[in-house]
Amino acid sequence: MSDDVKWTKTISDVNDGILVTLEKPHPLFWVAWLIAIACVALGVSAWVYEITVGMGVTGLNSPVYWGTLITNFVFWVGIGHAGTLISAILFLFRAKWRNTVNRSAEAMTVFAVITAALFPLIHAGRVWFAAYWLLPLPNTNNLWVNFRSPLVWDVFAITTYLTISLLFWYMGLVPDLASIRDRVKGFRRLVYGILSFGWRGTARQWHNYEAGYGFLAALATPLVLSVHSVVSWDFAMSIQPGWHTTIFPPYFVAGAILSGCAMVYTLLIPIRKMFRLEPFITPQHLEACIKLTLLTSTIVAYAYGIEFFIAWYSGNEYEWAIFQKRAAGPYAFYFWTMVFCNCVFPLIWWSKRMRNNVAVSMVVAVLINVGMWFERYNIIISSLAEDFIPGSWGHYQSSPVEMALTVGSFGWFFFWFLIFCKFFPIISMSELKLIMPKPLSPKKSKGG
Amino acid sequence: MKKRPGGILAVYKYLDHLTDAMEKIRDRADFQGHEVFSPTSYHEIEHAGHFGASNVRWFTLIGAMTGTISGFALPLLMDYDWPLTVGGKQGGILSLPAYVIIGFELTILLGGLATIIGMLVTCKIPNPNQRVLDPRFTDDRFGIFVPGVQENSEQARLLRECGAEELRTIS
Repeated sequence: MSDDVKWTKTISDVNDGILVTLEKPHPLFWVAWLIAIACVALGVSAWVYEITVGMGVTGLNSPVYWGTLITNFVFWVGIGHAGTLISAILFLFRAKWRNTVNRSAEAMTVFAVITAALFPLIHAGRVWFAAYWLLPLPNTNNLWVNFRSPLVWDVFAITTYLTISLLFWYMGLVPDLASIRDRVKGFRRLVYGILSFGWRGTARQWHNYEAGYGFLAALATPLVLSVHSVVSWDFAMSIQPGWHTTIFPPYFVAGAILSGCAMVYTLLIPIRKMFRLEPFITPQHLEACIKLTLLTSTIVAYAYGIEFFIAWYSGNEYEWAIFQKRAAGPYAFYFWTMVFCNCVFPLIWWSKRMRNNVAVSMVVAVLINVGMWFERYNIIISSLAEDFIPGSWGHYQSSPVEMALTVGSFGWFFFWFLIFCKFFPIISMSELKLIMPKPLSPKKSKGG
Repeated sequence: MKKRPGGILAVYKYLDHLTDAMEKIRDRADFQGHEVFSPTSYHEIEHAGHFGASNVRWFTLIGAMTGTISGFALPLLMDYDWPLTVGGKQGGILSLPAYVIIGFELTILLGGLATIIGMLVTCKIPNPNQRVLDPRFTDDRFGIFVPGVQENSEQARLLRECGAEELRTIS
């Protein structure tokens, strides 16, 4: 795709066009927000119930001690991937289409990781003890945490990812918040003035800002690739059949980018409508996002294939048994949902007409999200339920409490995301100006 | 509070006019302390300003190095304080590969935090005493502010010649 989007607008239209969002949004916005609040209420009640009654209200029991809650954790961390990928990696590659979607993708990352971080706590049951086994604090026996445990690595990885994503996102917002400050009056001016740190937009400020932004992008790039690798080691470092494979890190990273890009698309379509951003988020930008999703879908399909092949080729009977059971055992429904949603349905995007068909693409993007959720569910449950000794086999069924917590997590994510859309510019105005025609004098633009 | 200096403010509509003006006034002593404003980070402005490499890089480097060192020191020191033998494996220097992850994460974390601090320090923000000379500078106009000169001065004439669409006195 060509990066040179033909803009009919000039940089003077950017602030006016985008800050409409601060005024009256589409009525759909309020409907969506109320639904999100209802889902959060459901999730909170389920959590309170779980804490009061105990972990028995979940479907977790021997031998399956990781279930829907950990699935949600991995799913939301995965969703959080695309934001920093789009912001940092595409920034370093100078892919210009990112400038219209990076802000919403970054916001998505921040809120998805915050959502993900809730799940280890919910899963722990007695959440008030979490500080001792998560953080390097000496406990009553004066022992430290075990730094050779992938779970401790994960705490460091997720905390770092959340912090860096949050800072990256906020630094990007500062010049835009200053733009809002310079447009509004009274109390709002004071609030946006404080939030924008007194940014003035001097050439020196821009110079240092750009340098810092570049360094942050360079630091965030390996971080994007590392964070889901570390999440995958939560599984791969064990000896559980179906988990103990070296393909896990790249496989998880590709899956995370797939789900993240699909979620970016799922969010962009309604936002574009609610806040009337069609002139800025053009069909070319949406198509570029779809192409990235399609690419990662093929990587994921390849990973599924290789995983199966190696399970057979390794000659390890436990490994091979798990894979046969995944495809034809009690959890086969989840497996085939995952395969169809992640590998088969996206194939429709090889057709340009389908890529540009918003309704079809939206359905496929939502299906990918469903498929990626089931991928994690499939990996976690099937490996734990039936491992080496038939005597220890069991079965797992997600309980209504776990399902309510899952619905609550979606509500929680959308609740914050919609608040963000209402009060902050969804498109990075200062970066959008960079991909529009430069404001050159008539003489200069003719001459050159 | 120290009184902020008055001067003249030239507003430009076009980027090339601004960079022309910047080139001309860059090294002149009678434009000492001038400031250039832009709605976004055009590279043309950076080139015209001859700013050199930003000092943010030192913050990033020192932050990242501190992160690497502390990322390895933290698990090692805790290991030596109270060795945890898990799965028959000893802690300490023998378990170093596992600590690469902590070292990596803290490199990124402290490197990133230091970069942000570096940006704030070099951009001189947060700044509660900032004054907005013209609200259009965060929208679609460029500007040059020269402190301590009058509207009828030689400096003002030069700025106007370069294509300023507006010139006014800031008290």
